[in-house]
Amino acid sequence: MNFDIDPSAPHPIVRRDFLKKLGAASAAAWMSGAPQMVRGKDIEHPEATADACVLLWLAGGMAAPETFDPKRYAPFEKGMAVDSVLSTFPEIDTAVDEIKICAGLESIAGVMDRGTLIRSAVQPDLGSILHSRHQYHWHTGYVPPQTVACPHLGSWMARVLGPNNEVIPPFINIGQRLEGVGEKEELKAFTTAGFFGSEYGPMNLPFPEQASQAVRPPDGMTNSRFTNRDKLFRQLVESNPNRDFASDHQQESLLRSMDNAYRLLNSKEREAFDIEKEPKEVRDRYDTGRFGRGCLLARRLVENGARFVEVTTEYVPFLHWDTHAEGHNTVDRLHKEIDRPIAQLILDLEERGLLDRTLVIIASEFSRDALMEGKPGSQANDQATHKVEKITEEKHYGLHRHFTGGTSVMTFGGGVKRGHLYGKTADERPLIAVENPIGVTDLHATIMTAMGVSPKTEFTVEGRPFYVTEDGKGEAVMDIFA
Amino acid sequence: MMDTPPLYSTSLKLAGSLAVIIGSFVAIKPEAAATEVDFVHQVVPILRQHCGECHSGEESKGGFSINTRALFLDDDTAIPGQADESYFIELILESDPDYMMPPEGKERVPAQHLAILKQWVNEGMTWEPGFTFGIPTYEPPFAPRRPTLPEVTDGRVHPIDRIIDQHLSANAQPRPSSIDDSTFLRRISLDLIGLLPSPEETRIFLTNENTDKRSQKIEELLARDIPYTEHWLTFWNDLLRNDYDGTGFITKGRTQISAWLYDSLKVNKPFNEMVTELIAPSDISSAGFINGIEWRGTVSAGQTLPIQFSQSLSQSFLGINMKCASCHDSFIDRWTLAEAYNLAAIYSEEPLELHRCDKPTGEIAQAAWLFPEIGQVNPEAPKKERLSQLAALMTHPENGRVPRTIVNRLWGQLMGHGIVHPLDAMQTKPWSEDLLDWLAADFQDNGFDLKRTLRTIVTSNAYQSAASMEESTPEEFSFTGPLPKRLTAEQFIDAIWQITGSAPTGFHAPVARGVVPPELVQKLSFPSSWVWGPSVDNEGIPKHGEKILLRRDLKITKAIKSAGVIAAADNAFVLYLNNRQILDGVKWESLEAAPVTTQLRSGSNQLLMVAENRGPKPNAAGAFAALRIEYKDGTDDIIVTDEQWLVSETIPKGNRPAKWELQKLKWESARPLINTTWKSKTDSRIGKTLAFASAGSEEKVRASLLRADDLMRSLGRPNRDQIVTSRPNEITTLEAIDLSTSEKLMSHLKRGAEKFATRKELNSYRLVEEIYLATLCRRPSERESKILTQALGTDPDVDQITDLLWAVALTPEFLFNR
Repeated sequence: MNFDIDPSAPHPIVRRDFLKKLGAASAAAWMSGAPQMVRGKDIEHPEATADACVLLWLAGGMAAPETFDPKRYAPFEKGMAVDSVLSTFPEIDTAVDEIKICAGLESIAGVMDRGTLIRSAVQPDLGSILHSRHQYHWHTGYVPPQTVACPHLGSWMARVLGPNNEVIPPFINIGQRLEGVGEKEELKAFTTAGFFGSEYGPMNLPFPEQASQAVRPPDGMTNSRFTNRDKLFRQLVESNPNRDFASDHQQESLLRSMDNAYRLLNSKEREAFDIEKEPKEVRDRYDTGRFGRGCLLARRLVENGARFVEVTTEYVPFLHWDTHAEGHNTVDRLHKEIDRPIAQLILDLEERGLLDRTLVIIASEFSRDALMEGKPGSQANDQATHKVEKITEEKHYGLHRHFTGGTSVMTFGGGVKRGHLYGKTADERPLIAVENPIGVTDLHATIMTAMGVSPKTEFTVEGRPFYVTEDGKGEAVMDIFA
Repeated sequence: MMDTPPLYSTSLKLAGSLAVIIGSFVAIKPEAAATEVDFVHQVVPILRQHCGECHSGEESKGGFSINTRALFLDDDTAIPGQADESYFIELILESDPDYMMPPEGKERVPAQHLAILKQWVNEGMTWEPGFTFGIPTYEPPFAPRRPTLPEVTDGRVHPIDRIIDQHLSANAQPRPSSIDDSTFLRRISLDLIGLLPSPEETRIFLTNENTDKRSQKIEELLARDIPYTEHWLTFWNDLLRNDYDGTGFITKGRTQISAWLYDSLKVNKPFNEMVTELIAPSDISSAGFINGIEWRGTVSAGQTLPIQFSQSLSQSFLGINMKCASCHDSFIDRWTLAEAYNLAAIYSEEPLELHRCDKPTGEIAQAAWLFPEIGQVNPEAPKKERLSQLAALMTHPENGRVPRTIVNRLWGQLMGHGIVHPLDAMQTKPWSEDLLDWLAADFQDNGFDLKRTLRTIVTSNAYQSAASMEESTPEEFSFTGPLPKRLTAEQFIDAIWQITGSAPTGFHAPVARGVVPPELVQKLSFPSSWVWGPSVDNEGIPKHGEKILLRRDLKITKAIKSAGVIAAADNAFVLYLNNRQILDGVKWESLEAAPVTTQLRSGSNQLLMVAENRGPKPNAAGAFAALRIEYKDGTDDIIVTDEQWLVSETIPKGNRPAKWELQKLKWESARPLINTTWKSKTDSRIGKTLAFASAGSEEKVRASLLRADDLMRSLGRPNRDQIVTSRPNEITTLEAIDLSTSEKLMSHLKRGAEKFATRKELNSYRLVEEIYLATLCRRPSERESKILTQALGTDPDVDQITDLLWAVALTPEFLFNR
């Protein structure tokens, strides 16, 4: 044991030996300068309470007072003052006595006893609201810009935990197009494994109904042709007279990847990607649109061993949850889109005995308010399209400002308490978190802790440490765990 | 307790733990006593705070240093397991001012800190393997060095070989064997122009008996300016964080340097001139590098534009990681927070306050660069001058760092591994100082000529030798031959397009491809013609803030070869073609230009230009635009702003012209203007600008000119939100899935197969041979030929050929440049 190694002096460690120990795959990563996990005595991973994680992402800013945190209901009246509006939906009872949520979410209300509702999530203001920036923060734990490309939450799980089932890619991203939508470049910036490299990146499936195409032979290719093509490939590799040109690790990495791909494309699990395989009545229960179908796909993937699945209502500027006008009517429609499939997903996972080990999270980048942009004291520009004091038309009726001072995150399964409420927002404006505020860093720590990953997990990239939660400072909210 | 230090993480862990320390002074937790003490998070900050000033780094007052555990244990200053017997603990507890530590007048060590130290000693003084309070001792030379070349052995006269031969014999390594012509041809072609040689080119080269044919091939490739430019564009775009799409563009917080970069590579602009134009840009065309990416809203102190400047410049040109030092004094090398901020202050318009880990320190940075031994910028000078001074220092004849950094990158591109590695860590010891220094000085002494250095490297025996199969870590690297390089995303896609003849016709990079004949520049050198709206009638002066909408409809009936547009306005404009934004500008003296070959269509087309007058009071306003279309029949059309354009004083709302109801606007003829100020600034540049924008190219479109798509991203093209100087060397599972299922790849391969299938002169045997020449630059072995002709049968159909192409394109031999 030698404690005083001068870093500039040659290492006494026998490198060949370590290469052997590392195995070809990690050696390859080493050679390419890929980031390495820093393993030491100081990182003790918590015991996992979940094996899989499903993030249901309500992109664009889900107004908590219109969903999981009802406030005083103000029905539409011509001429009503904007500042009199806290919520445009009345509250309803749920399966848990002390928890009320908004009308329109009756199915979710029915499964409220399976999870913990966090009502005190808070976000930083960032000086100006750009959805994709807050989404970047939520998904990576880091506020952009950053000096290195930050990995997505799903990539962290893929990198640290790996797949649950070797055949199913560990990180699957359902419902978000990355081409042809506004802020697409900003979306791509966090929909990535970043410095981990694309091995840990998302498998993007923007259209759940077309997901099966991603794992089957190209259109028009029969199975026998596909098999023959692979055979031909293998023969060529075998018979190549120049096969010794590259070091083993390079060849091995390629061939192993080709093997993995072929295995998935030939596996029975590949059917998990095909929601048409579900009986029609099951599909109907989920099918409220792309998001609902995405939930069904997520369920099938989790059943077959996916590690992390995100299903998004899709972020498109000014669409869906990004309500800058017509807020009430839009959210009324969105309730219908999410209510049944989310509840069904919970029930199905439970029925299959998977809910206990699957953490399901419903979240959004921030909340909304009828009046306040950002949070109290904020410098953020008001981006409401109609700046009116009195509501004269129905299109003004809704929560059209971005609010970062307090929002809800719903969690089910994966070791969280059942029928539990955590945190509280004020009853009057500003509707800020007044009990147990929890920021993105601690929320990440909580999620990673459930998955059995220490919030202090660190990798070295470009000579600096990089942590799964910002600067390794995340503290899990243990109170939500059973 | 640390029984076995983890074998693999020594140096990495060092860097990691060191950097943890800062920003984690908070990590000293009162509950420490309950669990084993944490050296990195708890002990190091305390030692640094109370002992570091006099006993760490280069300081060792009283002959005592805490740099390493061994030094700490010297003379029983500390005895692991026995805190109460340890001298340093006694000294901390001492009350006699003559003996106490820290010395009289310094802050005492608080009880809770002392408790942690004692616990640490009692627990055995766990030390992070490799950790030192000292700084790494290797400091690379800054000045250029011109090493004497070793003696020639065995007639190997090339300077690189002379150095490498000496290196090999010192390391008792055999000389790597040389490569055959086909390996050479594929390697050199991919390395210099990024393309595969055609089967025809390969046949000719293989049968050529001229002993000088390799040098001739090298010259031929280097002379192909467009393919060379479009290959190296990828390297430079990565290095300079330039792209055609990406974060920041949506909020106009970022500009491209594409056209400038393209033109610079095309004329092989000397590297010192490139550096100068990037650091001290004379116009917007090369300003995107130092201006970085501006995000809307607040950003952390470590990512403001001046700090981005400091980081980008350091990484790209100096091989210095300033990212650590821009948050706190770096632990991985010698750079400090102050140095990072001082460098940033050269760029900053405002006084720049230092922030340590995002918290203000109260100190104000003083503009300065990192190597004052050759001079310094004047902090009192205005920004523009400071940038010029910095550019002069970066390209100074006594600056050896900048040339070393770039030649090392070029070596890395060609040889698969830098002389200093990683390429961005130029504080690291090179595996051959002579090689690095000779190459850098040779580059510097010969006009910073990039192509010349490439030529120097690829003409060496070292380059033309068999690929190395050695696996070694950067720490113990010794040269045993070039390393195989995975084809980049761009090379792979170009290769597929080449083999299958399926390259697209349009592209996204706003660059002028092709070479412009001087006669065309002459022909297009017409005077500008400016217009405005009705507010200029009767000698009226347009109001400040006045906006007009200009419109020109045109019909195209002939086949277009190429087209380009230029425009300017006093004061600002946005130009749309067929409802897509093509250009915008805010400086009337600067002509903006863009090729529009792919945006035009046969039939009706429409140009729209929103022009705006700015200023504090009414003033002169004007707009100018010119569109040139060259047709396939050799004729051309030129459309300039004149009274044939329509003008509306009402501008529809929104920035999506497709939604504008133009028929509802009141249109009249645009009003031609006479203004000599505008003309004097723009007229002399019209010919060249329009000629370049509208000149087409015979060369096939390359992937480097396109925005990244899913396939390119999956094959490793980075997002370019950060500077990424090396591409992945492996194929990942997700890529393999993509390559196995991609409809796009299949449709390209199928198109190629259809072409092969129509070549009835090829029987299966010849077909296989042709495909091997096209993909691997060699003929198939007997065994390969047998397998494949068998697979194809006597009359192969398109599907069979498609699958054969796929199988070949996925073999390691194809996917690597070996």
